[in-house]
Amino acid sequence: MPVLPARATPGRLMIDDHAIGQLRADFAAALAAVRTDRDLQALRDRYLGRRGGTVTALYSQIAAAPPDERRRIGQLANELKTWVEDALAERQKAIADLRTAADAIDVTLPGRPRAIGHRHPLTVVRERIESIFAHWGYEILDGPETEDDYHNFEALNMPPEHPARDMQDTLYLAEPLTRRLWSAGASPEASGPATLLRTHTSAMQIRYMESHRPPVRIIAPGRVYRRDSIDVTHTPMFTQIEGLVVGDGVTMADLKGTLTAFLRELFAADARVLFRPSFFPYTEPSAEVLIGCVTCGGAGCQVCKRTGWLEILGCGMVHPAVFEAVGYDAERHTGFAFGVGIERVAMLKYGVDDIRLFYENDMRFLEQFPA
Amino acid sequence: MRVPVSWLAEFTEVAATPAEIGDALTRCGFELASIETVPDQGDGPGDTVLDFEITANRPDCLSIRGMAREVALAFRQPFEPRARRRLTPSPNPISLPVTIEAPALCPRYTAALADVRVGPSPPWLAARLHAAGIRAINNVVDVTNYVLVELGHPIHAFDLHQLEGPELRIRQALAGESITTLDGQLRTLTEGMLVIADRSRPQAVAGVMGGLASEVTLSTRTIAIESAYFAPAAVRRTSKRLELSTEASYRFERGADIEAPLVALARVCELLEEIGAGQVTPGFVDVYPTVRGENRVPLRASRVAQLLGQDVPAPEIERILRALGFALVTEPEASTVAWRVAVPSWRGDVTREIDLIEEIARHHGLDRLPVTFPPLTVSPARLDVRLERDAVVRRVAASTGFTECVTFTFIERSAAEPFADASELVAIANPLSETFAVLRPSLIPGLVESVAHNRRRERKDVRLFETGSRFTRTSGESRAIALAWLGSATGLHWSGTDRPADFYDMSGIVEQLGRALGVGVRLEPASSPAMRDGHAALIHASHARGSALVGLVGQLREDLAAAHGVPPAEHLFVAEIDLDAMAALVDLGEHVEVVPLPRHPSVVRDLSLVVPAGLPAATLRATMLANAPETLVNLVEFARYQGKGVPEGHVSLSFRLTFRSPDRTLTDTEVHRAAEAIVAALAAEHGARLR
Ligand SMILES: [Zn+2]
Repeated sequence: MPVLPARATPGRLMIDDHAIGQLRADFAAALAAVRTDRDLQALRDRYLGRRGGTVTALYSQIAAAPPDERRRIGQLANELKTWVEDALAERQKAIADLRTAADAIDVTLPGRPRAIGHRHPLTVVRERIESIFAHWGYEILDGPETEDDYHNFEALNMPPEHPARDMQDTLYLAEPLTRRLWSAGASPEASGPATLLRTHTSAMQIRYMESHRPPVRIIAPGRVYRRDSIDVTHTPMFTQIEGLVVGDGVTMADLKGTLTAFLRELFAADARVLFRPSFFPYTEPSAEVLIGCVTCGGAGCQVCKRTGWLEILGCGMVHPAVFEAVGYDAERHTGFAFGVGIERVAMLKYGVDDIRLFYENDMRFLEQFPA
Repeated sequence: MRVPVSWLAEFTEVAATPAEIGDALTRCGFELASIETVPDQGDGPGDTVLDFEITANRPDCLSIRGMAREVALAFRQPFEPRARRRLTPSPNPISLPVTIEAPALCPRYTAALADVRVGPSPPWLAARLHAAGIRAINNVVDVTNYVLVELGHPIHAFDLHQLEGPELRIRQALAGESITTLDGQLRTLTEGMLVIADRSRPQAVAGVMGGLASEVTLSTRTIAIESAYFAPAAVRRTSKRLELSTEASYRFERGADIEAPLVALARVCELLEEIGAGQVTPGFVDVYPTVRGENRVPLRASRVAQLLGQDVPAPEIERILRALGFALVTEPEASTVAWRVAVPSWRGDVTREIDLIEEIARHHGLDRLPVTFPPLTVSPARLDVRLERDAVVRRVAASTGFTECVTFTFIERSAAEPFADASELVAIANPLSETFAVLRPSLIPGLVESVAHNRRRERKDVRLFETGSRFTRTSGESRAIALAWLGSATGLHWSGTDRPADFYDMSGIVEQLGRALGVGVRLEPASSPAMRDGHAALIHASHARGSALVGLVGQLREDLAAAHGVPPAEHLFVAEIDLDAMAALVDLGEHVEVVPLPRHPSVVRDLSLVVPAGLPAATLRATMLANAPETLVNLVEFARYQGKGVPEGHVSLSFRLTFRSPDRTLTDTEVHRAAEAIVAALAAEHGARLR
């Protein structure tokens, strides 16, 4: 790298401020790259060496300069030399300091382990669904898992001997169980004895309506129980979220809008959603909601049994008999209800093909979900 | 319901492909399960069979006729049942007296007689039954089954000569009666079950299954044909009690058509003669004491719009309902469009306006309804404090390295017993198996099983937790969190600091949960059948609002852990906290009142005491607090030592005491005096001395 201006005329050197500035910048850059004593010595030789040192070369040119310039050039050369020497010395000290930290540690060894646990996938999905509805102003309810026949069946338009009870084979308690129930965030109150394990969380909706006037906007998550033998798609316990909206002028179109938006939040913004008539004793008209298969995108695969669609929700307009059971004016108030199985959602979202994995609690499975 | 397409075609024009029919019916509430091609049994062209799921509210569609009505409407084709023979009253009533003794359970009973030549059915009939999924038996039985499938009405045929009398009495079973049913099973009948009896004994379980004694066999010469209507609840009860479900009981318990018996009887007679199986005796019996009144339901077009969120034009409403057999009369008085709708006898499920609106919605099409959002007319409620509490607890557990589990709420009795008295256990009346016999009194057994599951899979370090309900007779249902810790306390590390987890790791987590929930935690030695002696403690939580016993922490008894497959050398630590008991104390930062920061320095004194080894630290602590001035603001154990310099049977325990006054700087002298007073009290009460 030329230290002096290349266009300098022989015999008349142009040692001006610009040239000196350039020289200082070049030196500083070279110094910053120095890591070892050897690098430092090489740099010192390059600038201060007796032969060919850049700064040394300035002195040899003083004699060749016009007499009126000599004094000025000499001053510049001295200043530069002092600056370079100081900088080299400082750097040398820094390198020495680094080397002499005898207690230096290996910062690349692993840090001390701080364990972090993982949320269960059913919790991850439940919390996700709860947060969607909480944002839409729904109240989240917590209620008992043991129930009486009235709240689980009768108030839901399923009197004794109703054939629809076959759809939900029930686990009964050997003897009635007296419980204290929490009522909407307040203190617990004694309640009639429970005789069965709830087959759905709808019972909580009945309890809520018994103590609240419309408008109603709630979801009720929780464990539910049916007398199903265990296989890849069935367990005698599973998790549900049911929702209920009651007010003046709530329509089936509102039901479609709400559940379509919900499924698109939960699965994909462009998810296809289909409503198809079905039957539940506590809603009428009732519908089953399907989404375009998340595995094949609708082309047909094993997951969707080649239909391109997956059943995901049951829903409908609240049956007037349910409103009558809780003392609502069935003529004035309308509403919709829906239920979704959390295991089903988790299986579809995460590609789980065996429901039993959720209850085996194998850490190799659980640790795949977020902390 | 298996529906052969050729059979449908006898009721309506079928221009669509089987796939199109399946699709159209699925869209109006009959989910297609499969499409299957069945070869003809002879040399015919074969048939296509559509298999549909029929919901419990639609027994009328457990028939070809019912499904054909839906298909006709879906494809806008007329529904025209073929003209059928009518049974004509004969001047001479048939020689079979029929008495209904239980008219509430059997509102209608019709019968006819026929002389028969029992033999195989013609191939076409056998093929139809085969396609519908029913095995051919003989021409007489096959005809009854054919009519069952076609019209949905169950028919039974008796061998007349096996009936004592002959006569038929429809009555409740008497105590001690029994019957051998067609499947060869001897069944004991109980009072309340409805039977068809001859003069002396039951010959059929009404609506469920006939008796073997009067079965139609190759030697049968004359038959009595039964076509009746039985009350749904009666058939359902009997079928459940006998654990016997048949094609007949399935239909009767969902509700048959009380106007169908004669139509079905006529169809049986027609078919018997058509296939040459017999000659029907002129005349019939029809015992029908209370004729069904007409069921009329009001319907308003405005209500349809109010429920569906869309106006459905009146002509569309009328088209749909008429095609389904409803008769509509416009209400002239009404200010808006309204009808009185007569419900056909086969639609027992339709009793009120909403049922009609569902019919309209099904066939109008749910996909045609608009997509809107309900207005928010109420301010959102605040989150239930218990849900917030559970979320905090889960977050703390996970952040301290515990992974969340979900285990079954019901467990084996033997697994539950160490955690509650046998009298406290809540048993399930009809468990799937002994593995699920009782509701868990504690979350720990399920958690232990999950720990063991992982340990058996070579996972040595396991930290798991679960939140959920547990059940005892006295406490009912309560919410809890349980934690389990097996293996390393810290995890493998090159520094060699790794050690097995111990009691204090687990109790530290309990204290941390307490801090997260804003309550103080105090432990007290405890013994429990589930815990290793001397290694367990009761957990007391305290707060300004009071204190309560909230749980148990300790080492699980070694043999319990070993029973699940945890190696004997490894210690399993568990804790369980009653979150509902905690909820009364918890105040998740709702009512914080800030205390001014201290303006004066604190003074620290360390006391190393030599005390008897069996003396709990909590006892020393209590004595110190009771004898300290208000300026003692913190007290913490910081060293414990046993060995050289400490007498046998004693332990050295060091406490760090922090003194501070809110309004002045304490002097050395007064702190010194306070410490001396504390030491004196410890010496007097516990024989403690300074080391
Ligand atoms: Zn698919």
